[in-house]
Amino acid sequence: MAISRSEPTLSVRKDSSPRRPPFRRLLIANRGEIAVRIARACRELGVESVAVYSDADTDAMHVEAADMSVGIGPRAASDSYLNIPAITAAARQVGADAVHPGYGFLSENAGFARAVEEAGLAWIGPPPATQEALGNKLAARRSVTAAGVPVVPGLLVSLEDDEPPDLADVGYPAMLKAAAGGGGRGMRRINRAEDLPAAVESARREALAAFGDGTLYLERLISPARHIEVQLLGDRNGGLAVLGERDCSVQRRHQKLVEETPSPAVTAEVRRALFDSARRVAATVEFHNAATVEFLLDGEGNHYFLEMNTRLQVEHGITELVTGIDIVAWQIRIAAGESLPPELLDPEPRGHAVEVRVYAEDPYAGFRPVAGAVTAWRLPAGPGVRIDHAVIPGAELAPEYDPLLAKVMVHAADRPAALARLRRALDEMVVGGLQTDLGFHRWLVEEPGFAGGDYHTGLIPERWGDAGPLLDATDASLAALLATRARETTSAAGAPGATPQAGIPGKPDRSWARQARSEALR
Amino acid sequence: MTAGLEARVAGDIVEPAEDWRITFIDVDRRIARLSDGTRSLLAAVEGAGDDWVVTLRGRRIRVTVRTWRERVLAEAESAATGSRGPIEIRATLPGLVVSLSCEEGSEVAEGDPLLTLEAMKMQNEVRAPRAGRVTHRAVSPGETVARGALLLRLE
Repeated sequence: MAISRSEPTLSVRKDSSPRRPPFRRLLIANRGEIAVRIARACRELGVESVAVYSDADTDAMHVEAADMSVGIGPRAASDSYLNIPAITAAARQVGADAVHPGYGFLSENAGFARAVEEAGLAWIGPPPATQEALGNKLAARRSVTAAGVPVVPGLLVSLEDDEPPDLADVGYPAMLKAAAGGGGRGMRRINRAEDLPAAVESARREALAAFGDGTLYLERLISPARHIEVQLLGDRNGGLAVLGERDCSVQRRHQKLVEETPSPAVTAEVRRALFDSARRVAATVEFHNAATVEFLLDGEGNHYFLEMNTRLQVEHGITELVTGIDIVAWQIRIAAGESLPPELLDPEPRGHAVEVRVYAEDPYAGFRPVAGAVTAWRLPAGPGVRIDHAVIPGAELAPEYDPLLAKVMVHAADRPAALARLRRALDEMVVGGLQTDLGFHRWLVEEPGFAGGDYHTGLIPERWGDAGPLLDATDASLAALLATRARETTSAAGAPGATPQAGIPGKPDRSWARQARSEALR
Repeated sequence: MTAGLEARVAGDIVEPAEDWRITFIDVDRRIARLSDGTRSLLAAVEGAGDDWVVTLRGRRIRVTVRTWRERVLAEAESAATGSRGPIEIRATLPGLVVSLSCEEGSEVAEGDPLLTLEAMKMQNEVRAPRAGRVTHRAVSPGETVARGALLLRLE
């Protein structure tokens, strides 16, 4: 025992040895870009990943990204991605030992989390009891008020049809919200008392359809306001990391379109207050894994608790860019019992990151969702650019699901550099086949209020409206040039510019000739 | 230069920007590079016949490109049909008919809500494109419709 043997002269650092995978096989109960994102984290951790898919998604990218895949039912989300028995059966069938729900679908459904845990699998997310306590926005308003966190003035009880509530301290304009809400659904702005009954009826119908719960409440409209959220990551041993804030004030239909971190509106003093409130909210429940505490910030720097989302957020990537922390990987490691190391408990964010969400929707027609298939698909790349997407060009978009096509994220040393990088990235991106909101994002980068960091949740209604600026005469003229030239070069069928023979005699397509030459040189 | 082709955007004749050069950088995906010598930008172009769509700076621009012969035919056709007559209202998105706010025989004004269609997790109001009378209701609440499906006929 005490006999010393000569040690190798090259010592290997302890943390360089391969890490033992936290789980053996993880089922991803989601689809689209977030399922691809989770499969990537699994691969890096040495965990086998299992995709689930509906009949609409047999050839989807998230199925390709995972190691294994299981069909879980028909196209409708209620029959597949929201089908708890089918998903838990799939997890058992493949012998999974963990389930990651992603965002949306069943990610905040405590019943699903329970079913997963009762099946003996690890649930990658906050505990089901926590989800229950915070999933009801109205109950959460009551409990955080008791913990000394400011909430938006308004009702602490549900709005019933038969008894007119005492709305004296709410006042108008007010916001009508669904207790089970999220994603802007069941939410209505109420300008006058007489508008309330009709709004209650339609909001209740929407909330019932979306969440199976039509409970509504009313709170004062804080306007102008910024929507700021704080990212939390907590381990099962009491370690809690506050990974900075994100500004999500660029919204349409109360849904986020653009996010940035840090927020240009948050001073060091406001940040301390926000983080303190976020910690207090987390302390009202048994919290571990990843969650986000959302606040409104008014013009005077006062913040008001909105809700705590007990799941991974769509926009988690920009926090990963500035902190260097892989939130998804840590969600999985935390679920396996790992503790957050000290350097993660007190992270020092670096630089500035922005995300724009590219949706299949028409910003020139009220951001209405559009149907179809992506044809042309050219993505930006290069320094400081991250793209999370799950688009397969040529595949028809499934109208049953969220129309998010891609998340374009940029990271740079400071905000002006990040916006310059975003402009460059957007100029590199081309999407054909259907209208997207890329034109809005390109406009936003140069919008004076946004560029100066001075904007709030009213930016889209006030400065873009329903249709955005009129078509620029130069762009119309360029479009006319491209279309006429494309028609000329396709007079004998085929893609524009495809065949020199199809062009007008005496006008060979120079680009084609150049491409043929470069191929000959290879 | 453009072999007698006429380009129209939103109904107006537009002169092509002939001082810009086009390079098709991705023939299969129909992506072109436009350059005027000092600036350049990317665009997608797709279509066939007289109906083209150019995507420029993220915006889809519909361009009607017609030969002289097609122009003459189109003018003759538009002279023959007026703005009156029956019109069909079709689903622009596949989705679920949530509710109908009109019946057969209802008189509606331009912009009146006709029905609510749920698609892409949103409730979309379908409104009357002009005043008229609903002569046919092709769908009922709870019904799932495909893109392009007939919803209502208006006269």
